[in-house]
Amino acid sequence: MNATALSLPTEAPTRRPGAFRRLLTNLSGMVGLLLVACYLLFGLLGALGATPYPPNEQHARDRLQPPSAAYLLGTDLFGRDLASRLIAGATNSLRVAVTSVALAGLAGTLLGIVAGFAGGWVDTLLMRVMDVFFAFPTLLLALVVVTVLGPGLENAIIAIAIVYTPIFARVARAPVLAVKQMEFVTAARCIGSSAIRVLLRHVLPNTLAPLIVQISLALSWSLLTEAGLSFLGLGTVPPMASWGVMLNEHRALAENAPWLIIYPGLAIALAVLGFNLLGDGLRDVLDPRVQGRRGR
Amino acid sequence: MRRYLIQRVLAFLPILIGVSLLVFMAIRLIPGDVITATLGTEAGMLTDTQRESLRRYYGLDRPVSEQYVNWITRAVVGDLGISTRHGKPVTELIAERFPVTLQLALMAVTLGLLVGVPLGIIAAVRYNSILDLLVRLLALAGLVMPGFLVGTLIIFVLSTVFGFLPNAGNFARFNENPGLNLQQMIFPAITLGFAFSASIMRMTRSSMLEVLGEDYVRTARSKGLRERQVVTRHALRNALIPVVTLVGVEMGYLLGGTFIIETLFSLPGLGRLLINAISQRDYALVQGATLFIAFTFVLINLVIDLLYAAVDPRISYERNRA
Amino acid sequence: MLKWMRLLLMVAVLMLGLGSALAQDSGNTLIMARAADTTGLDPHTQTAFASLRLLELVYEPLVTLDANLNIVPALAESWTFADDAMTLTMNLRQGVKFHDGSDFTAADVVASFNRILNEETGAAARANYLSIASMDTPDDYTVVFNLSVADVPLLAAMASVNASIVPSEVIESGDFAASAIGTGPFILDEWIPEEVTRLSANAEWWGEGPFVDGIEMRVIPDEASILAALRAGEIDFALLNDPLVATLLNGDSSITLNAVPALAYHVFQLNPSRAPMDNLAVRQAMSCAIDRQEVLDTASLGEGTVTGPLTIPAYQVDTSGFFCYQKDLDRARELMAGVEPFTIKAIVANAEPPTALSEAQSIQAQLAEIGITLEIEPLELSVYVDRWLAGDFDSAIALNGGRPDPYTMYARYWTSAGNLQVVTNYIDETLDSLMAAGRAEPSFENRLEIFTQFQQHLTEVSPWIWLYNGFEYTAHQPYVVGFEPNPTDSLYSFAKVTLER
Repeated sequence: MNATALSLPTEAPTRRPGAFRRLLTNLSGMVGLLLVACYLLFGLLGALGATPYPPNEQHARDRLQPPSAAYLLGTDLFGRDLASRLIAGATNSLRVAVTSVALAGLAGTLLGIVAGFAGGWVDTLLMRVMDVFFAFPTLLLALVVVTVLGPGLENAIIAIAIVYTPIFARVARAPVLAVKQMEFVTAARCIGSSAIRVLLRHVLPNTLAPLIVQISLALSWSLLTEAGLSFLGLGTVPPMASWGVMLNEHRALAENAPWLIIYPGLAIALAVLGFNLLGDGLRDVLDPRVQGRRGR
Repeated sequence: MRRYLIQRVLAFLPILIGVSLLVFMAIRLIPGDVITATLGTEAGMLTDTQRESLRRYYGLDRPVSEQYVNWITRAVVGDLGISTRHGKPVTELIAERFPVTLQLALMAVTLGLLVGVPLGIIAAVRYNSILDLLVRLLALAGLVMPGFLVGTLIIFVLSTVFGFLPNAGNFARFNENPGLNLQQMIFPAITLGFAFSASIMRMTRSSMLEVLGEDYVRTARSKGLRERQVVTRHALRNALIPVVTLVGVEMGYLLGGTFIIETLFSLPGLGRLLINAISQRDYALVQGATLFIAFTFVLINLVIDLLYAAVDPRISYERNRA
Repeated sequence: MLKWMRLLLMVAVLMLGLGSALAQDSGNTLIMARAADTTGLDPHTQTAFASLRLLELVYEPLVTLDANLNIVPALAESWTFADDAMTLTMNLRQGVKFHDGSDFTAADVVASFNRILNEETGAAARANYLSIASMDTPDDYTVVFNLSVADVPLLAAMASVNASIVPSEVIESGDFAASAIGTGPFILDEWIPEEVTRLSANAEWWGEGPFVDGIEMRVIPDEASILAALRAGEIDFALLNDPLVATLLNGDSSITLNAVPALAYHVFQLNPSRAPMDNLAVRQAMSCAIDRQEVLDTASLGEGTVTGPLTIPAYQVDTSGFFCYQKDLDRARELMAGVEPFTIKAIVANAEPPTALSEAQSIQAQLAEIGITLEIEPLELSVYVDRWLAGDFDSAIALNGGRPDPYTMYARYWTSAGNLQVVTNYIDETLDSLMAAGRAEPSFENRLEIFTQFQQHLTEVSPWIWLYNGFEYTAHQPYVVGFEPNPTDSLYSFAKVTLER
């Protein structure tokens, strides 16, 4: 909120080229990018159905097998191949994370920009509504959404999206407020540019940097939230594999079949780590203040 | 300043009313009521007369709007009703549970700061080096796994390797037995605080980087001060301002109760109270606890904003100019 | 910075050291833990198992069940059932005192049953005692129950916490929420919901015991933590629900694990009022397609036995005589001939029982083999109960509680007047008349015959597909001596327990 407001660009926006190239020279950004790329690759494999076994196929005779040549990462309670389910889980977790963040990002950004740009009572009203959602216990909100809409992947997505919308609204609104005061925007409005045009040409680009960072972080939270929801039985519906469900389903087996916890746990950890490092890297690259530091 | 304060406090009311209305409707929107929640499938054995009599007993026979008005008018004077499950005033229950959650939140935030701030400084001073990356990885380790997994692992390792269990259901409040209490609270606090340290580290690092580039730091440096002094004496103070904001936001979340950690470590905190109240359809308790949590949340945000305005020279400058 | 870290580490080490130093000596108090807590203190209206586990230590019914489910005396010393099963005479134990010091007499029995039968009370168990037309008390220690119909199962139905005798004065004052005044071996000192319940021994108890000073019942919401507490020696006794957790103790010689075949049964319930389950052949095909042993092996790691409708040991018969109890895919496909592949939903309660989702997934995979798509619909428990009670489901995965008598166990479901007819949606004259015959028949041999027919018919018409019954698990330290595990999971034998540390 305020912290974001302080680290705003002070000069007029010019598209600085080579942000991506700079990301490549940023150590943590690189590592993050690599991890995220791996995650995306697995997600793609899962989406294409390129798994050693069908992820939901039960092999009654091979229940709870430790990792072996036949089952690379072992099997679960139902004799399903863990490796296949992890790949399918990557796809589903990715679907949840990306869709929910996209929804929250779109809705939140829109609300934030409108609120910030319009100001006055519109701003007050919108942000108060956001505050209500913000102050509402997350789990209760998710529980209500899922019980009212019914369980399932789509509704878990909606629940997570609702939870994160206010955060995006706040992140988007702060730079809009600041940019609005700046001379080039005032100038643009003076020479008769329409509000929409000003918004699109001048305001939106300025909110992009904090938003991009926010998105990469939100993706990681969303992964964790999905896992948390499945702890409450509100996540993806079995037998569909998602990392959160896999973890929760086999928590009691941690002692006798540790591979059932270790690998999904590792999968979540690496994906979340990837998004976090990438987010940090992006922040370093996109934040001009930090850029100044590089010259020392 | 006073006008600002009054404005902020007035902004409280619509939020609280919104939250109360939302929670009131939400909890009634979910199928099931206190009767089915308590009796389970045996509720099907009730005759219509029996069911009516129970509904009357729980006050569910009156129209929803009437229930809301009754509740909100009493809530205004601090009476949040009686919990059906506990048979006690909701305010009393909150008073019992809140200190546990508050203590956990304070401990977690303290731990998060103790770990996150030094790591953040190191990462900033050694910007974009291997050390920077390692420090980030270390700080992120607590954040990258779901809380329930971290908690489960901690309990598993402690009990199998050390034969020690943080809390065997004999929770002691701090004033009852401080030693036992700390022993029970330290591990859940580590679980939460470790995750929090990552955000602290990130915020410290980026604001440190920002501050280190500012003129007055360059001045200090050019005066011939050693880098260590520049960092600790001049840069740190200002760099920590946004960290304070973060702490505030995080406190707000933690005080809402961290149900999963409380469940894993058998802590009688606010989060478990609320989640159990939801599954028990203990309407009065759900409403009261949620309202309290929302209240704390906005209150903390207000305090942080005020604190912020008091500490940050830039904000007061802008205010004077305006 | 390093200093801070070092300090932190030292504090942590110190805490651990402090922890072992602080391990208190609990003396002669039995410390037990469980995941769920009591939901209320009224013995007549509370039905949650978690509540019964506490209330059965404080309140007592006239008769109770021993570990073999025989009906044995509690507050009644003896009883006689008239040959026509129309009157039941109870001879009460003399010299019994309630926890408040007042005497237990016939008046309390009459007052208690009147309270249960009074609809205002809202006692769900009332339905089991409706045959009571009137009660006579020839003297202070005799109660005669006059029945409106021949009702042999009434006696077994009275062996329940829900038929506990409470003081008539308490009934008049009407407050059961605040105090618990019973005759049981333990007195309730304190109930802090979701934390701890403390009981002390009732020195005036009529039976032999209790031999411990008291009981501390702790709530540890996560079963893995209960296990850890048991292993760490922090608790003496534990109730476990999840077979996946309980089986971790199988090879552990330092902890005693009791596994008693449960009366409760895991069942896959179909809704015969909805197409295509209204088609007998479809239901039978589903029954033939499901390998019950595989469901048991997968969901409960084989911890249990495949069962027919009756889980009461005395009434259990060889399951191979039941319809399609061996998986028979050919027969299933034959039965499905002419039926289009279809999709139905199964409602499943979250973690209630812990095995439910696994059962659903195993059944789902098996039904797929005959072209039936089962969609799993996991629901929060109260939502599930709400839907279930309204009969609003295609199919449901359930763990249903059992009763010591077949009639009490199933009258609610399979008689035309049953309260839960709306859940089963299935009326069958054969079942109805067999139930009525079993109710009036006093001879055990004849009843066994009747209820075996009942089981055979029920499995053949397959409105529900019975799967298996698991175990009721209790685990304790070896020094806990004298506990008798009970198929109903009752903790009543805590009165006989000694701690021989």
